Amino acid sequence: MHGSSDPARLWIRVFAAPILLAAATITGLLAALLWGTVGQYVAWVTVGAPVLVVSWVWVRRRTKKNVRFSRATRGN
Amino acid sequence: MKARTVRLWSVVHTWTSLISTLFLLLLCLTGLPLIFHHEIDELLGYAPQPKAHASAARATPQVVADAALAADPGRVLQYVSWDKDEPGLVMAFTNSAPDGPPDNATLRAFDAVSAKMLGPVGVGPMLIVLKLHTDMFAGQAGKLFLGAMGLLFAVAIVSGVVLYWPFTRRQRFATIRDSAARRVRWLDWHNLIGVVTVAWALVVGLTGVVNTWAELMLNQWKATELASMVAPYAGKPPPVHLASLDDVVARARQAAPGMEVAFIAFPGTPFTSSHHFAAFMRGDTVLTARLLKPVLLDGETGEVADTRALPLYLQVLLISQPLHFGDYGGMPLKVIWAALDGLTIVVIGSGLYLWVARRRKRAPAKADAFARRAPVPL
Repeated sequence: MHGSSDPARLWIRVFAAPILLAAATITGLLAALLWGTVGQYVAWVTVGAPVLVVSWVWVRRRTKKNVRFSRATRGN
Repeated sequence: MKARTVRLWSVVHTWTSLISTLFLLLLCLTGLPLIFHHEIDELLGYAPQPKAHASAARATPQVVADAALAADPGRVLQYVSWDKDEPGLVMAFTNSAPDGPPDNATLRAFDAVSAKMLGPVGVGPMLIVLKLHTDMFAGQAGKLFLGAMGLLFAVAIVSGVVLYWPFTRRQRFATIRDSAARRVRWLDWHNLIGVVTVAWALVVGLTGVVNTWAELMLNQWKATELASMVAPYAGKPPPVHLASLDDVVARARQAAPGMEVAFIAFPGTPFTSSHHFAAFMRGDTVLTARLLKPVLLDGETGEVADTRALPLYLQVLLISQPLHFGDYGGMPLKVIWAALDGLTIVVIGSGLYLWVARRRKRAPAKADAFARRAPVPL
């Protein structure tokens, strides 16, 4: 849960990451179109960023589950 | 945000998503193999392979045109095209008439050096996938219908972003509540994947919508810009003897210095007038290679009649194509495109699941309420 009750700060905390990812995606989509080979490299990182975020959340969740499971089995 | 406002946006999000769900799933599922259609065609043996010729002179355009006509006796040439990414190939479209229906057209590949026919292009299973993706075998009406579904998808995305705030403001970004019910876990995944892919989904969705209007835009260009370009030739009959394609290509290059011919449209085809060749020229960068510039040439003499840049709406259409296909950043971008397409399928599927789960949850509650209201039998 968020600690802040200030609506503006709360709004920024909720939307900061999505806005950054959206900006990165748009930058990458245009970079590959406008900046040749360098733009392609930029696009791979920035357009791929949402995929990395989802993968990271999925891996983090699996890891937590595994840790909990191994703690539980050791406890038995 | 007031509860009533949330409810209103929720209704918009639910119904725009539900109406378009089936078609969006079709678009995402067919779009996935289409990202790799070159590779799949090569794998299945449907991609013509040019022979390797070490620094040999290329066949002239007229030699390729003659070979294309010889390969399809009794038919006429509509277009000859040169793909920037396939320098060893020249493509030729033949049809029963210059303005013959697109479904009757035959596309063949020819070796750029020997002018030997290498085989048909755009056949095989990927053609079925492409037709499903673009118009569901329903022609222009199918295209416009899918465009409308794309617009609903855009409204669903925007309303989803609005609803992201009331649903996630009490959580940290990327929180998946493992301890909660399965429906809540899927709501968290739906919100997370939806919000991180929002820009990509909007760009691909809206560029897809623009692509469904391609024929309308082309008709508009023909009725306005092209009509004014060919106005001095009004009333002239179609050419009896066509100018040599070699002359047409050479003069088009002179008229657009620094550019190469992307494709030539023969007189009477949908991309030009009944009296003119149209050479569509491209630049050499990723962007300028997409922004074509038409050069009109007299069908009999090959002389340049007019040349001007395409209007803004056609430039938007041409730019929207790579942004929809994801084919302009090498194989890694194609893989990322496929992953984002897969994530969109998860968002659509989870949205449908959440709607069904919520209805199931409400059904017993409604039944209870009804039972409480019902008169007790004596």
